[in-house]
Amino acid sequence: MLDWSKISRMPANNIKKLQDELLCKILQDELMINHPYYSNLFKSEGLDPNAITGRRDLDRIPFTSKQDMLSSEYDPERAKQFILQKPEGLESAPKPKKFALLGRKCTVPDPAEYRMSQLFYTKGNDLDPIPISYTRHDLNNLKETGTRLCDILNLKRDDTILNAFSYAPHISVWQLFHAAMTLGSTALHSGGGRVLGMEKIILAMNNMGAPVLTSHPLFIMATLQTMLRQNTDAPSLERVIIGMDYAPMVVVEDIQDLMLRCKAANNLVQRVYFLSMAKAGFAECSPGFGYHLNPDHVLVEVINPQTGESLGEGESGEIVITNLDCRGTLVLRFRTGDLTTEGLSSEPCPNCGRTVPRLIGDIEHRHDNYDLVNEKRSIAFNGNALRRYMIGRRDVLAWYVEIVSEKGNDTLNLTFKPAGGINEEELAATLQKDIQEEHRLKVTIKKGSYEAITKIMGLESGLSVKQIFDLRQ
Amino acid sequence: MENWEVLSKTPYKEIREMQDRKLRAFICNQVSIYSPYYSNIMKKQDLDPYKIKGIDDLKYLPFTYKWNIAPNAENPQRHKDFVIRPDEEVSEKYGHYAKMSMSTGKELIEQKIYDYKPVHIHFTTGRTALPTPFVYTKRDVENLRESSCRLLDVFEVCGDDITVNCFPFAPHLAFWTVYFAADTLNSPVFHSGGGKIVGTSKLMDAFEFLRPSVAVFIPGYCYYFLREAVKQKRDFSSIKKIFFGGERVPPGLKEKIKELLKQLGAEDVMVLAVCGLTESKVGWGECPSHEKYHGYHLYPDLEVIEIVDPESGEPLGEGEDGEIVYTSLDWRGTCVVRYRTGDIARGGISYEPCPNCGRTVPRISSVIERKSEFKEFNMTKIKGTLVNLNNFFPLMMGHPDLEEWQVEIRKRNNDPFDLDEIYLYVTKNPDVNEENLTADLKQKIIRETEVSVTNIVYLPLDKLVSQLGMETELKEKRIVDNRPTG
Repeated sequence: MLDWSKISRMPANNIKKLQDELLCKILQDELMINHPYYSNLFKSEGLDPNAITGRRDLDRIPFTSKQDMLSSEYDPERAKQFILQKPEGLESAPKPKKFALLGRKCTVPDPAEYRMSQLFYTKGNDLDPIPISYTRHDLNNLKETGTRLCDILNLKRDDTILNAFSYAPHISVWQLFHAAMTLGSTALHSGGGRVLGMEKIILAMNNMGAPVLTSHPLFIMATLQTMLRQNTDAPSLERVIIGMDYAPMVVVEDIQDLMLRCKAANNLVQRVYFLSMAKAGFAECSPGFGYHLNPDHVLVEVINPQTGESLGEGESGEIVITNLDCRGTLVLRFRTGDLTTEGLSSEPCPNCGRTVPRLIGDIEHRHDNYDLVNEKRSIAFNGNALRRYMIGRRDVLAWYVEIVSEKGNDTLNLTFKPAGGINEEELAATLQKDIQEEHRLKVTIKKGSYEAITKIMGLESGLSVKQIFDLRQ
Repeated sequence: MENWEVLSKTPYKEIREMQDRKLRAFICNQVSIYSPYYSNIMKKQDLDPYKIKGIDDLKYLPFTYKWNIAPNAENPQRHKDFVIRPDEEVSEKYGHYAKMSMSTGKELIEQKIYDYKPVHIHFTTGRTALPTPFVYTKRDVENLRESSCRLLDVFEVCGDDITVNCFPFAPHLAFWTVYFAADTLNSPVFHSGGGKIVGTSKLMDAFEFLRPSVAVFIPGYCYYFLREAVKQKRDFSSIKKIFFGGERVPPGLKEKIKELLKQLGAEDVMVLAVCGLTESKVGWGECPSHEKYHGYHLYPDLEVIEIVDPESGEPLGEGEDGEIVYTSLDWRGTCVVRYRTGDIARGGISYEPCPNCGRTVPRISSVIERKSEFKEFNMTKIKGTLVNLNNFFPLMMGHPDLEEWQVEIRKRNNDPFDLDEIYLYVTKNPDVNEENLTADLKQKIIRETEVSVTNIVYLPLDKLVSQLGMETELKEKRIVDNRPTG
């Protein structure tokens, strides 16, 4: 990867040129020779990698989806097809030449660069988790992207960090571990609610005097709400970094408000978009200014999720990524299933001035959108819109919704717990009316206990929170 | 830190001289000045740090106990007093140097930050007190990396071995030792976080996907995991070594594990144990051998281990049974001096070269018992009996007719003033006769523990596995004390 101080100030055209070069390099030097899946795909599709001269030719490469990488009974090692192999005949590290003229670099790769160092998995929200192999090269990049993350978030060595992302062999925990270690901050990698539990995290935050708390948004909200109920202040807390789950601006505002009510020293909330296949997380310098990408590490496109057509700047669509500088698991034009609400921008960030491309707006999940049936009519149910609406309601403490099928009609069963001092009957009626009108579906409202709802959501037990359950056969 | 290759072949006499030298410097230059707890103690007790010339003089220093360090409601920050930290006055001095120096001031400050600024935290499990944080500075992390590599050296693991780390994820030494070892050695590894995180079935899939040669486990979970794998007819033939940590490993269990692995296609597997304490900040490995246990190999440049009489605190000689007492050497972050671990080493410490590998570093015995599991029981109306519950582990783990077990200590009628009762919950192998097994267990328990169990309850495997917290707890609950307090 390049020097961040240079690339983050490079003009957009130069960045595009650099990405074209990196794309050609990885296609010609690595993929066609050392990648089992893509070398076969290119051959079977009659594609010439030399004909791909840059981003403009990208649409000639077929998309890769999660389904392509999933193991099955017949192909249990499918994911290995996506791991870059070491070049044939390359068995040991090349010896450095003693008298290399003008310090010429050795062009023979080191086989150790191709050996797996660590294995992570995708989150597995919609499909089974997919293994992702990291080599030493990738771990070094993970440290570098972690350093960039700290730079964008403006984290300093003196910031004590309480990393409360739920532990899993997943990018989020490890990206923050490497970031904190490289930065030299004091950090507790707690494993989140599923390891330490919320009570101990609250205790640790106040005992450590940690100004920085990181976790998925609903866990942070629940933690702060618990502190309010217990009359516990968070006097050291200055900022919260959220990621791993749906985090629209309304969540940011809610957390900011809760931080103030907990008497936090400051109420800065920052968002990070962790993307397993990109092998990095992308941070916003300030909420709403977009997730700053690493253009020398990954190429990001936005496409129409229905037609697969590439979209222009500022157009909302599905995020597609291509690895530009990695070993281990490597993908081309991978459809992430994540949707950006305001598309891609290559304009310099109006807040920090960095020139790297940014994903603007909120990141939504395609798997939260469902095709439902009501009175023989097909209805596109936007679960992301429902989540945004429900999270925005400060009179609701916790909730989840089940999609069920009744006599050929799909309906929603919403279970909720109101915030303290709220008239439950009135709220239930409002929720039913609003959701029915917005989504044109029959809604049944139930009340539940906070403990039961948060347990079903997996607030403390899961890697991220689930609030929409499709119970149809 | 010394070069391990050289250190592990250095005659013990020279090792001892090196330890004396390091201890002297550490006590005088770090502990007595920068550790708030120890500098206070030394002042209060009028102890001259310069009097500590070497290990033999350690006896002049008081013991440190868990309750000295563990935070409590009155003093939640108590653990911070054990962190080696230059106080403000000293920092000011360095800052002053830095300001005076035009060329090396920044480096000097960076060096001090490297030495003293905490960057990583582990916690004790908190079984007997509140969880206590132990902090590592960058310098300590380097020590941890080096010691973890030494562990792999003792275990004869190389960079080509593929490892699956099944330790439960937590800010605990066990998980992070494997992380730092594999990272430093650049050895392929999958840090699963254990069954609690990824689930037993997915963990088995990962084994078949990666085909590891090394697997690292908590012993009880490993036994459960392998039994499930046998039921599902999995192929684990790639496994060559299994390491255990976090809990004791009775010899009988090692045999059972080997037998299960044989059924999974892995022949001649070496089953080894790691002994680690949060307070010691490192784990020590057992020398690999199929026949005999040669003890945990220590790192004499990083710690001093004494064996003392658990009652009187008197230092004991080589090979004598006693409590392990730990003193940090050359660490920063949280450091303890003469820390009473509460672990009893049967066979104490040995300074002879290892008969298996020839390394000359001191070794502590492989048989370690926990003092906290010597419990007082009122089994009769006459008097209290001190029972060594540690004895249940080798007996139950090694019993060929048992799949799982748990001991519950309770009060008759749940009355805090009534007699104690011991309930043994077991799951037997399917083709074993219940009556014969009950008779056999009762007889063996009396012989090994000198108490008789009140009741033996047979439970289905899934119920007992859930009762043990095998997939939900960091460590399974083998001995549960449910006695209400009066």
